[in-house]
Amino acid sequence: MPSASDILSALQSAFPGSIQESRVESDSRLWVTVDQKKLLEIAKFLRDKQGFDHYSGSAGVDRMADNLMEVVEIMASYANHNIVVMIKVKTPRDAPSVPSLVPLFWNANWYERESWEMFGINFEGHPELYPLLLGDDLVGAWPWRKDFKGYPDTTTGKRTVERVDASGLTSYRIGLTDEQVDSGQIPQRIEYPTFREREEAHIESESEMILHLGPQHAIVPGPFLLDVLVDGERIKKAFLDVGYIHKGIEKIMENRTYLQGIVYTDRMCYLASISNNEAYCGAVERLLGVTPPERAQYIRVIAAELSRIQSHLLGTGEFLTLLGSATYSPFQYMIIDREDVISLLESITGARITHTFVRFGGVRNDLPDGFAEQARKVMKMVREKTMEYKDLIAADPIYRKRMDGIGVISPQDARDLGLCGPPLRASDTPYDMRREDPILAYPDLDFKVISRKEGDSAARVDVRLDEILESVYIIEQCLDQIPEGPVQEKLPKKIKPEPGEAYYRTEDPRGEMGFYVVSDGSDKPYRVKVRGPFYATFQTFTPLLEGVYLADVVAIAGSMDACTSEVDR
Amino acid sequence: MELSAIIEAISSWAASEPRIYALIIGLIGAAVISGVINIVAMYVVWLERKVLGDIQARYGPNRVGSRWGILQLVADAIKLFTKEDSIPRDADKPIYVWAPIVASMTTMLVAAALPFGAVNIGGKEYPLVVANMDLSALYVEAALSVMTISVFMAGFSSNNKYSLMGAFRGMARMIAYEVPMGVCVISVAIMAHSLNLVEIVQSQTLWYAFAQPLGFIVFTVALITDLGRIPFDQSEAEEEIIAGYTTEYGGIRWGLLYFQEYICMFLGSIMLVLLFLGGWNGPNIPFLTPIAPMIWFFMKVLIVLVFLIWTRGSLLRYRIDQVTDLGWKWMLPLSIVNLAWAVVVGLYFA
Repeated sequence: MPSASDILSALQSAFPGSIQESRVESDSRLWVTVDQKKLLEIAKFLRDKQGFDHYSGSAGVDRMADNLMEVVEIMASYANHNIVVMIKVKTPRDAPSVPSLVPLFWNANWYERESWEMFGINFEGHPELYPLLLGDDLVGAWPWRKDFKGYPDTTTGKRTVERVDASGLTSYRIGLTDEQVDSGQIPQRIEYPTFREREEAHIESESEMILHLGPQHAIVPGPFLLDVLVDGERIKKAFLDVGYIHKGIEKIMENRTYLQGIVYTDRMCYLASISNNEAYCGAVERLLGVTPPERAQYIRVIAAELSRIQSHLLGTGEFLTLLGSATYSPFQYMIIDREDVISLLESITGARITHTFVRFGGVRNDLPDGFAEQARKVMKMVREKTMEYKDLIAADPIYRKRMDGIGVISPQDARDLGLCGPPLRASDTPYDMRREDPILAYPDLDFKVISRKEGDSAARVDVRLDEILESVYIIEQCLDQIPEGPVQEKLPKKIKPEPGEAYYRTEDPRGEMGFYVVSDGSDKPYRVKVRGPFYATFQTFTPLLEGVYLADVVAIAGSMDACTSEVDR
Repeated sequence: MELSAIIEAISSWAASEPRIYALIIGLIGAAVISGVINIVAMYVVWLERKVLGDIQARYGPNRVGSRWGILQLVADAIKLFTKEDSIPRDADKPIYVWAPIVASMTTMLVAAALPFGAVNIGGKEYPLVVANMDLSALYVEAALSVMTISVFMAGFSSNNKYSLMGAFRGMARMIAYEVPMGVCVISVAIMAHSLNLVEIVQSQTLWYAFAQPLGFIVFTVALITDLGRIPFDQSEAEEEIIAGYTTEYGGIRWGLLYFQEYICMFLGSIMLVLLFLGGWNGPNIPFLTPIAPMIWFFMKVLIVLVFLIWTRGSLLRYRIDQVTDLGWKWMLPLSIVNLAWAVVVGLYFA
């Protein structure tokens, strides 16, 4: 297996002079700054020659002091090695433009659209540079730039967005009245076809119609728009629009201290709040250069695995009600089982849903007295019940008929689409962050990475149920092995990391959750980028839903275990 | 026996004036049925909510009307009656308004020909039926399929994509399952040498569920399909098409459409009991001889109802193409095999 320095030397010999800066953080992290003209070639070289077949996301960073915009491309590998390379490209701030990676990686699409609408970075060669999360009225305001002064206040009728320019004067960028825009005054609205026009361009005959499954619909776990172009019962094309609950958490965290930021990570996805805490705190720990004490590492593993169990139980149960109806009883049984798991989490963290439990260099408090006995009892129950659910769905002929062979994703397709988490592992790709990135106590624990060969909807549910069993096994080991000791490293009261950046990944119940945190030496993060797992899975709905029956939308979309809140952030 | 003497007198009068007798019975029957059926349907809903609640480890209704919640449905009905009556602007108004009415009328048509048990007076059984016609088995089956017309009326007139898809699904399902259902009724009629439901019941010394098990299974599946209950509720699959053909209905119009489903469920259970489970036949109960047939009859109906509710709590939904597949490729051939069986066995026993 190559190490990060091998990759760096390969890059330097293949592209002499194009690697402007480089830093080998560890054996599995490489940071390079490359010439933006060579970005496509370098990415192609890494993908084809060095085995970086997993495009994991990208982030825009506004370096206002240097008058630069940065785009950070995160690339990793599914099976070849566990190195993550962070490729940075710099581009002038007044006309930011970098080459698009969509020709190489299909899933770069949404990440680049987001960087475009938030920072105004143009991606040359992007096929559909339309807004993703923002409403149409905010496009052109580039709200995540550092000089953005606020959203137009439609309540009071103030229609302007203020921006401080270099001379210190305020200029107004959008929100002008329609007359002013029509008269050709600058700035002009950016021209692009609306979502509806893009949709209706695909209608070819009288027998086709667009059916809305969202933003308010029984299958959606949170508001998102899934429009399907149907011909009878067959779907010809699917369209996705997200951003209905866009909260701008990444931007909010820039205006809060490091510690205050933890609270916002909880709210991104209430089913995975411990994993989100963990990913954020881990990234900040890397910036601070601290490692949590061993007991705290075990407690963090226990909490993360408990939260995985409850998320999978709810995800599977909810999904089954989508296949049947809300009256399908195993859903309620899973909720009852989940209740015990939640109570366990509550006994550790004091909260049932949003825990805010993980701290930089440790955890907030130690395990309560008698936790081990209670946990062993609940784990035994969860294991028995999960086996029962496995038997139940294995023997249900209607379930098999609805799920077997529906929405099959081949291993190659799954990798090309950039799936992650259980949907990816169901397609015969055992890719798990707990294995890839040895964090916390996971290297000391014995566990299997669950995967399935079939790649259909049934396999995705099977993976989740098996992961519950595996998590139970992990927790039982933790209870046996957990050492005594402190649970919190000594840290100054005011956390001020050195300027720098860190990327940290954890295995969320839905897949690969990554936090990219940039520090400028102050007590607030300069930029936080969330690489959400369901964001990656979500954009694959469009190709996956083509050509299936309307009822299969439920079977395919539901088996992905959606969390809209985390997509919109 | 004084009571049997009165009945004898009425019977002889009825034989002399059959038309007036039919008119009087029809009027009384219509009044009784339209009142009773709706109240029974309300309690079928209550039963479903209670049993489903128990299956799902919940309580179900437990506030209005004692801790059993027996008046919950009355409260719901009052609420539906007092809700605003709104019609979508783009709806096809006459059809939209008539759809729930056609649905209720259909249920009454079915109810008119169904015997609701029998009473035993002086060793003679008197079936409780309004219209005791010779073709009642066929008539009931035909009237039940008129229900689909109201479904289509509702779906088509709402001018809504979900409603239209629900209506189409309902039609496709009805066509696929009405045929095997009809063939099963014919098989029963062949064994009983009659299409009259009363005579079919009286001829069941051995329940037809045992005499032709295949027909019993096919009929049960087709009945669940006809009732549009899970796993065959594609026409109102909320996870796909919101509420199907009822999407645009509100207030008491929706209430009528909703209620007719439960009336149908009750009537369908009665049909199943009459055709395959021996109707009101059963051993005599001491001290309760006059109403013993009623007790047996409604006990069987209750068991069928609970079975139907149980399926709803424990089954998933088929996809619409799988439903039609099952109907045409399995149910129809099986019902024809059952018909052949009924002919052979029927001839042997005749």
